[in-house]
Amino acid sequence: MIRSAKNLALLSVFLLATAVALSAQNPAAADDPVLRAMLAEMQRSKSQLKLADVQAPYYVDYRLMDVDQFVAEAAFGAVRTSLRTRIRMLRIVVRVGDYKQDSYYGQGEGVVDVGPLDDDETGLRHQLWLGTDRAYKAASEALTAKQAELKKYSVDQQIDDFAHASPVQFVRPLTRLEFSPEPWLATLQEASGLYKTDPQVQSLNASLRFTVTNRYFVSSEGSVVRTGDSLYLVFVGGYTQAADGMRLDRSHGYQVRQMKDLPAKAEVLSRTRGLLASLKQLRDAPVSEEEYRGPVLLSADAAAGLVSELVGPNLLGNRPMLGQNARTLGDWANNYKSRVLPDFLSVVDDPTLTSFEGHTLLGNYEIDDEGVKASRVSLVEKGQLVSYLLSREPIRDFPNSNGHGRASVTGPPISSLGNLIVQTSDPLSTDDLKKKLIEACKQRNLPYGYFVQTLGPRLTPRLLYRISTKDGHEELVRGAVFGDLDTRALRNDIVAAGKEFNTEDRLDPIPQSVVSPALLFDELEVKRGDTAKQKLPDYPPPAGTE
Amino acid sequence: VTPDSNKLLPGNSGLVKLVYLNLMKTFLRGLALSLLPLFFVPVARGVDPAPVHTSDVLLSTMQRELQRAQAKLGQLDPAPYFASYSVYDQQGTVMVGGLGSLLNSTQFNRRTGEVTLRVGSAALDNTHQESRPSGMSSGLVPLEDDPDAAARVLWQLTYEEYRQAAQTYLNVKTAAAVRTQEEDTSADFAEAKPEVHVDYAMPAFHLDRKEWEDRVRRYSSNFRKYPEIYSSAVMVVGEKTQMRFVSTAGAQLATPGTIIRLMIEAETRADDGMELLRVETFQSATPEGLPSETEIAAKIAKMASDLKALRAAPTAEPFDGPALLSGRAAAVFFHEVLGHRLEGHRQRGDQEGQTFTKKINQQVLPQFLSVIDDPTLRSLNGMDLGGWYQYDDEGIPAQRVDVIKDGILRNFLMSRMPIKGFAQSNGHGRAQPGLMATGRQGNLIVSSTHTAKDSEMRQKLIDEIKKQGKPYGLYFEDIQGGFTLTTRSLPQSFQILPVLVWKVYPDGRADELVRGVDIVGTPLAALNRIEITGEKTEVFNGVCGAESGSVPVSAAAPAMLFSEMEVQKRAHSRVRPPILPPPSWDKTTAAGLPTSDFGGQR
Repeated sequence: MIRSAKNLALLSVFLLATAVALSAQNPAAADDPVLRAMLAEMQRSKSQLKLADVQAPYYVDYRLMDVDQFVAEAAFGAVRTSLRTRIRMLRIVVRVGDYKQDSYYGQGEGVVDVGPLDDDETGLRHQLWLGTDRAYKAASEALTAKQAELKKYSVDQQIDDFAHASPVQFVRPLTRLEFSPEPWLATLQEASGLYKTDPQVQSLNASLRFTVTNRYFVSSEGSVVRTGDSLYLVFVGGYTQAADGMRLDRSHGYQVRQMKDLPAKAEVLSRTRGLLASLKQLRDAPVSEEEYRGPVLLSADAAAGLVSELVGPNLLGNRPMLGQNARTLGDWANNYKSRVLPDFLSVVDDPTLTSFEGHTLLGNYEIDDEGVKASRVSLVEKGQLVSYLLSREPIRDFPNSNGHGRASVTGPPISSLGNLIVQTSDPLSTDDLKKKLIEACKQRNLPYGYFVQTLGPRLTPRLLYRISTKDGHEELVRGAVFGDLDTRALRNDIVAAGKEFNTEDRLDPIPQSVVSPALLFDELEVKRGDTAKQKLPDYPPPAGTE
Repeated sequence: VTPDSNKLLPGNSGLVKLVYLNLMKTFLRGLALSLLPLFFVPVARGVDPAPVHTSDVLLSTMQRELQRAQAKLGQLDPAPYFASYSVYDQQGTVMVGGLGSLLNSTQFNRRTGEVTLRVGSAALDNTHQESRPSGMSSGLVPLEDDPDAAARVLWQLTYEEYRQAAQTYLNVKTAAAVRTQEEDTSADFAEAKPEVHVDYAMPAFHLDRKEWEDRVRRYSSNFRKYPEIYSSAVMVVGEKTQMRFVSTAGAQLATPGTIIRLMIEAETRADDGMELLRVETFQSATPEGLPSETEIAAKIAKMASDLKALRAAPTAEPFDGPALLSGRAAAVFFHEVLGHRLEGHRQRGDQEGQTFTKKINQQVLPQFLSVIDDPTLRSLNGMDLGGWYQYDDEGIPAQRVDVIKDGILRNFLMSRMPIKGFAQSNGHGRAQPGLMATGRQGNLIVSSTHTAKDSEMRQKLIDEIKKQGKPYGLYFEDIQGGFTLTTRSLPQSFQILPVLVWKVYPDGRADELVRGVDIVGTPLAALNRIEITGEKTEVFNGVCGAESGSVPVSAAAPAMLFSEMEVQKRAHSRVRPPILPPPSWDKTTAAGLPTSDFGGQR
């Protein structure tokens, strides 16, 4: 169809004017070809994208994640993988409707594509153009589908689909990945080569992952964000089998934000030797009792793992499926303003912190992936749940984001942890906690209590000690799992917390840290795990040439 | 498309994208802690170090560990009666460009180790029927020749594989005792002479990273000229492989292989939403063998004009009548319709349709047609063949197999899995690293003794149309690929995805391009309607996917006239073309003038 030239001329004057205004607002954006391309295409989408008989978008955003990554792995003293990759991923969201009800549903939740690696405006604008077109059409259909679906349900309380937020302009310098791989490959080789010190170690791997991510975000509301961050991970892990076939695992990861904070080779090697020694101790350790019910002390390290598994997910303000009236998806959906932890514990999430008592925190950021400023949120106060972590998708009683809408490289922004910190009003030293554990056991005539030093995946103890009630002697045992460790136990059974803190870092899909003191449970069930035991290797490992 | 279907992807609907997406997946997996099985080291291997295998640290380590495993596991019950170790050393480069910008550039190096164990006896072992995957465990092997680390990895894979194989064998034995006798009582493993052949002459091609990144940028920037092409990509993949293989039967092999592939993909959409795709693939053993920059630009211009014409072309109606297939189209047709059904293992599986199993020594094609599969050929009429190899993935020398001679079925494409009447491998056991080999195609070549000059084939088509009194016939100029189903539970059918199809009229009217055509039908019926062929053989190089993974293949055939071909309308999306013009063609923001005839609001 041919449009009137007069209208077009008018339109172009308007466009030119806004384009000038935008770059005047963002002097830094004008120097960056990526932002320039995003802004130019945003302008076109905002002003021209419309199908006849279909609503124009009310909101569009473009996100580009530029990820530069080096990964390497060594096993048994030799490198098996070493790879540098760089990729730019685009995510485009177009919303049709309005803040109260929009198309963010099913296929309307945005499109993902690969972006050009060169700072080439033409190429990037082309990808954005195609993606926006796709996203707009999908959004239009999604809105209709959503409205049809909603007709099936009666809704108690109308909650907005998208929270209002003030636009931000925030352009930080770019971050780069600069390092020399050779010394690191040598470290991985040497660390994984330590398998030779123990013939019964079946596997020993060392790996690393260095990632630098530059994030670009532009929205039709006027947000322009560019931030960069880096993450350096070095990991060592191994396993062995006990004589009865039980598989025993140990691992250690170093996760830091700055390369200078990575461990020296000597530290990695001594840590690896420590892991090997503990694998040997585990192999020789007795198997835990069939069943124990009584006091259990979790070290700060183990407690941080527990909190990240049982507390973190329940603090997320993720909205349930369409038509469901619950507040969130988690176990604490109905616990707003009620007690979820003992009254001496409080929980906050603070993405503005870069470290806590000397521990690097991975959940540090300034602006979240929806262009909302990061902020400290008090979540649990004296045991009572007072808030959730929120993205721009509102939930009942929480109409606004608190800057916790975070995204993986290709995923949608969802409410996520930043740095979750458990605080206690009554801190006890580790010695006092152990004394308290023994006292509690004595009261119940138990010969020993349990102390969990570290946890593995799925809350399975890796280093678990029996502490004798009689003389405080600690004995390592293996093969135990928890019977009833859940949110109810968190609310009812924690009786004391420690003075020192430890962190549990999660990198995937979104980097975050959980900080916790040691926690003493009055009663937990610890029982023998019933995992199948593989038989031992049918013949000995190769002798080796040295 | 079910996992059972067999695809030829030269590629098929978005090969570049497909390979690229796989690459992306691998990359994204790297973002999770599972680390990438890829590595880059500068290529140190020279052109031709003397083939003294004792000096090859990796091969001798494999040999030593295999002997140790044989000695130790041989004392157990049940004991393996055969074991082999393979290591595939793959070094390569992938570069993808779009509209003049680099989308990806990755160099990788990976060594995949495979441990194969057969427990029981050749008559019945752990790989019987659907338990076949239990015969192999695979994992990454150190990139450098570290004998201790390599031995340790092989040991680990071996004891894990033994646990799996021994357990599976017990299940297989029980099943054999409990179930009724199978129709084909062949053994599970064919005897074969152990081969010793050590060749490290890795061809010394070198894809200079900087140079080829720039080329990919330049080649892909050609698409900036064509606003009607929405999406395009240029991809260069270069890969060198060194395969090492040792077996307890005494085989010892080291063989090199290389492949360089340049793919160009362009996509647009017709006004009714139909996606239209053109893909061009070039293959060569050396970078110099790829087309020149001028040729590429011309090819891209042709792709663009084809797509422009296709956008404007009417959609095809269902049709049943005479059809002429170009040599490339006929080659894909034979690969899908015939080739996959001649793969040995398909003749004995309980789930297989077994179209040709009992047709040995019977007429299955017109008498003037013969079909061979010859992986020993590196080229045909000056064109590189992608299905070339020296030894298959079970260590058997590649062999020419006369599968169909003068229309009569004579043989199948055999791995070391025997079938009734065919107890031996004929060197067609192929797989991608990490998967158990099955009978696969290499270079499938169709030849004919009833031919006409290629320039006369069009007239032959018109004669046939007139003879049948049809309003028109179809000429299939090019094909993207296709897939086929060979299982019993689904119809025995195939689908070929043509991209350039012309309606040819008997009354002298100009040919008319149509879009949205799919060839459909059942195999035996289709093959017997070939009337005559052209003289010139054309080659289609592609990547073929099936149970044992993706392997490079070629198919070659002359143009063919079919008295009857059934086509159906292709199902397609109804998404409108883009609303706004592409950014670089949007003059509204710059000059305030309307743009091309592109898109627009309707």
